[in-house]
Amino acid sequence: MGQPVNPLGVTKELKGKRPKKGAKHFFKKAREQKELMWMSIPFLLWLFIFKYLPLGGWVMSFQDFRPARGFLESEWVGFDHFRFLFTDDRFLEVMRNTLAMSIINLVLGFVTAITLAVLLNELRSVTFKRVVQTISYMPHFLSWVVVAGLVSSALAMEDGIVNIVLLNLGIIDEPVMWLGVGQFFWGVIGAADVWKMVGWNSIIYLAAITMIDQEQYEAAEIDGASRLQRILFITLPGIRTVVVILMIMNIGYILESGFEAQYLLMNPMNMDYAENLDIFVLRYGISMANFSLATAAGMFKTVVSFIFLFGANKVAEKLGEARLF
Amino acid sequence: MDILRKLAGKRRGVDDLIFDTINVIFMILLVVVMLYPMLNTFAISLNAATDTVRGGIHLLPREFTLYNYEHVFNNAQIIQAGFISVMRTVIGTGLGVLASAMVAYTISRPHFILRKFVTLAFVLTMYMNAGLIPTYLLHRELGLIGTFWIYIFPTLIGVFNVIVIRSFIEGLPETLFESARMDGAGEFVQFFKIALPLALPVIATVSLFVAVAQWNQWFDVFIYNSSFPELSTLQYELMKVLSNSNAAFDSGSAQDAFADAIGGQQDTVTPQSIRAAMTVVVSVPIICVYPFLQKYFVKGLTIGGVKG
Amino acid sequence: MVKKKSFLLFMLVGFMLLFVACGNDDDAAATDDDESTDEETSEEVSDEPVTYHFFNATSGQDLHTNETELGALFEEQTGVNFQVEHLVGDLNERIGVMVASGEYPDTIAPQAGLDMLLDAGAFIPLNDLLEEHGPNILEMYDDYIDRFTLPDGNIYYIPFGANVNEYQPIPNTDQGAFWMQRGILKEAGFPEVNTLDEYFDLITDYADENPEIDGMNTVPFTGLTYDTSFFVFSNVPMHLAGYPNDGGVIVDMDTHEANVYGDSEYAEDYLRKLNELNAEGYIDQEMFVMNYDDYLAKLSSGRVLGFFDYGWNFAQARIAIEDMGDPDKEYIALPITFDESIEDQYMDPPAFTQNRGVGITVDAENPERIIQFWDNLIKEENQRKVMWGYEGEHYEVDEDGRYYRTDEQIELTSDQDWREDFGMTTFEWDWPRINGSFSDGNAVEPRRQPEVALAEYDEDDMEYLEAYDIDTFSELFAAPQDRPWFPAWSANVEQGSDPQIFEERSDEVLKRHYPRIVLAEPEDFDDEWNEFVEAYRSLDVEAYEEYFTRVVQERLDGNWQFAD
Repeated sequence: MGQPVNPLGVTKELKGKRPKKGAKHFFKKAREQKELMWMSIPFLLWLFIFKYLPLGGWVMSFQDFRPARGFLESEWVGFDHFRFLFTDDRFLEVMRNTLAMSIINLVLGFVTAITLAVLLNELRSVTFKRVVQTISYMPHFLSWVVVAGLVSSALAMEDGIVNIVLLNLGIIDEPVMWLGVGQFFWGVIGAADVWKMVGWNSIIYLAAITMIDQEQYEAAEIDGASRLQRILFITLPGIRTVVVILMIMNIGYILESGFEAQYLLMNPMNMDYAENLDIFVLRYGISMANFSLATAAGMFKTVVSFIFLFGANKVAEKLGEARLF
Repeated sequence: MDILRKLAGKRRGVDDLIFDTINVIFMILLVVVMLYPMLNTFAISLNAATDTVRGGIHLLPREFTLYNYEHVFNNAQIIQAGFISVMRTVIGTGLGVLASAMVAYTISRPHFILRKFVTLAFVLTMYMNAGLIPTYLLHRELGLIGTFWIYIFPTLIGVFNVIVIRSFIEGLPETLFESARMDGAGEFVQFFKIALPLALPVIATVSLFVAVAQWNQWFDVFIYNSSFPELSTLQYELMKVLSNSNAAFDSGSAQDAFADAIGGQQDTVTPQSIRAAMTVVVSVPIICVYPFLQKYFVKGLTIGGVKG
Repeated sequence: MVKKKSFLLFMLVGFMLLFVACGNDDDAAATDDDESTDEETSEEVSDEPVTYHFFNATSGQDLHTNETELGALFEEQTGVNFQVEHLVGDLNERIGVMVASGEYPDTIAPQAGLDMLLDAGAFIPLNDLLEEHGPNILEMYDDYIDRFTLPDGNIYYIPFGANVNEYQPIPNTDQGAFWMQRGILKEAGFPEVNTLDEYFDLITDYADENPEIDGMNTVPFTGLTYDTSFFVFSNVPMHLAGYPNDGGVIVDMDTHEANVYGDSEYAEDYLRKLNELNAEGYIDQEMFVMNYDDYLAKLSSGRVLGFFDYGWNFAQARIAIEDMGDPDKEYIALPITFDESIEDQYMDPPAFTQNRGVGITVDAENPERIIQFWDNLIKEENQRKVMWGYEGEHYEVDEDGRYYRTDEQIELTSDQDWREDFGMTTFEWDWPRINGSFSDGNAVEPRRQPEVALAEYDEDDMEYLEAYDIDTFSELFAAPQDRPWFPAWSANVEQGSDPQIFEERSDEVLKRHYPRIVLAEPEDFDDEWNEFVEAYRSLDVEAYEEYFTRVVQERLDGNWQFAD
């Protein structure tokens, strides 16, 4: 197969055409595409009912919302909740932690999952490949509570496996209290996240690799391409579209740096590096029944998400990569 | 080396040999690191709770017991709950994947006039959260509370999945669809006869995602159906057992039992041991589903043949 | 696109109208119910079998009460059965959606969600119902009725555990204390240990002589600081200064002023002591890093010499150590204060938690049936069954009329599964119930009956008891002084109010600074301390103290429920 059809050009073409012909043209087209309409409109309806309608509840972020009073009788407080959020002494630190962990997880997550998928694809024994893959995604099924417990015992001072290995290798002279040093926290979270998620995240890239035409590999082999060359010039380009699309979507989640892992591994010694936006909102929002603050924080996240989402999409467009929309 | 050779299969040059060797060694290390948490959890689930408190359990239980499992299954509701769990997984996955694939197909069609609008409308919802209470009120107005369908409809389409399927369908050679159109095939035929079968690897992947999400879900049971025991799911019943074991040690009300339990050396459960048994009970069935789907995306499909 | 957007807007407006509509519906329904209640109370109460839905916002076993032996009996007596549902996830979320939708189970024990339900008018006033159908409830709660009558003159919920007759102290403390591996005392010849210095001297001496225990490094002193358990560490100065657990404040016995102690001299002294010990290597380096499981594992290993904790908080480790079978490794609770002149107040004074309870909602039909069930439940004869079981089967009575349990009975009644089947687990809390003693002088709760505690002591325990010339371990502690406001922490701090935000913020400041102060080089102690005081004082301390001073004052005036 050749290159995937470039959606970019087509979209541009449409963009250019539509405004000229106006509503009449639109309805004519719509009649022509009756079947596509039937396939999408019911789901659009679903989308509006289930996803857009309840957004009306966002008004509560401008209220001192009490469930007992409902949306009509709750007191209006303007931007008070946003002010509480943005003027808190900790806000900047919370944002720093959120962004740092999010970026670390994003980069590590992509690099490790893609690497694993590519390497799995290079295994020659199908059975071995399947076994490794099945095992690699097992940690996904453990809850964070279990994983955090394992991480904490692996990092223990006296009998933690990490200290034992590093001591024996002579990399460190005395045991390190990994969870007691704030600066290590982001790394610990990143590593724990990779451990839990890498196998699971690689599934999608494996699926993408199967869509690459096998003939390309055969042709390359005849040309005498090395393994590395085949990876670099066939496999990676072959999954490029999927990678870019996933990347754009995940960049939109820039403020979702995870919650449970941080919460469970946080302690008084590392809290300055652990507290992120979600933990902050839990403490001052949900656990105080302050639904308004939680909603305000959610709206803030949405705004930031949109900025990053559209930004990333634009950059992808400029670079001539696949676009999300 | 023989084993390595066998694992790596037949090979050609020296470069290949080095690459394969390193790769296989890496994979074996990976397996060790990834298998450990599961085995450790399994060992803890088979170890006496009071002994587990002491820590230091690795791959084998120290004081073997089945009491943790007994405790987890000592629940009249568990069969019914398991049935609901299976139903929501099967129905939720079937309908969910079909719906997602259909939406994905429409927005993969370059000529579709609503293409951009539909894409954007779906994508934006990924980053907007209405919040618990408005969502609850909506579901109440729709009459979904206290029904099985609350597990299916609100999460019917996962936007992430739609986008993933879309980019796979876009990767299919457009000539396939063109020639079908020439033969007079409509969009539905093209969707069911061409897009779906050829995107099978991604359909399998997405099915796995949806199935696992459905199977693991307990929050919707908690919020919407916790007053309807007949609609409880396996995950929710196990969450109950877990929070109950927390209560045995936390709440003031259990102090009485406790003071006594210290005297008589009864079987006890702790949150840690219950959690371990629970993890095994919940993850084993879903892990078993995986190999059946795996064949669709571990083995490469040759679509070149279909092209002509 | 523009059209689509306005369509969206239209739908949003429509949705808002929906809220208006259902909001009004709820109000109307609520008033209807109120009226009908009033009418029905005058009718004869039937004993037709009926099942009510009881939501208990804490974790526990979901069941129908008539599936238990006691529940079946109570159903026979009243015709009432309850489908009990417990909380699994987050309390505020569950109660939040309940209130927002205006649909309630028949009865709710909302725990910390009480305010939200009262705010919503979810509970019906019980005054008339109690007057007519609850004579026993009124009698048992006689001393406390004022404490849970709200400012509008109505009773909306019934708290748990009214003390009747004689208050019974507990033989084995489950409260806060400095704990010590008791073998240390034995080796030192059973000395009296009352002050912080005496306590740490014993521990450091023992640690010097025994750097290893069972091949593992000895941990001289550790503590729990994880997540929400940080109070276990930050409460210590209050106890060392001779006060019981009043929460974030110390209440002066004379002026009745409430003062925070986070940056007090007491806290400074305690942290300085820990700082010195740390410099000498006696403080567990992982004290501020361990999670709860790590902490329990450490305690259970038998190599920890001392720590501060609340008895109920480390029960798992206690069981594990007893299981291990080395009686000298077990922990003993000691009444440690700063110096001899301070009388310890670790034991809680008799307390009545007025801001928890169970109420009947506007959605319950024939609420008098529920009152009747409660009223029957709280009769002394039924309370005796819930707490003790049946005479001759689950407890015995000696010739003086005292209750006790044989070894077999202790064995039987401590079996968790049996307790569930019998109904003890179900009814022992979160229902109207009594505390203290029965009219015949026996303790309501078996664990507070000295005869039961004594029967559970083995030879090794007796060795310690005899050495200190006491009958029960709690006798090491001073009797609680009279504190009519106790506990201050049960004040109805409004959700999201300034005092609550202060609590959250001060918790954060303490968490950030206390470990740094303890682990600092001794010469940096003062700098770290001053830095902390500055951060702490930048919070709204005054408002918090003012609020609790008011709480104490109002309570002293007999005013437990007051509107701000």
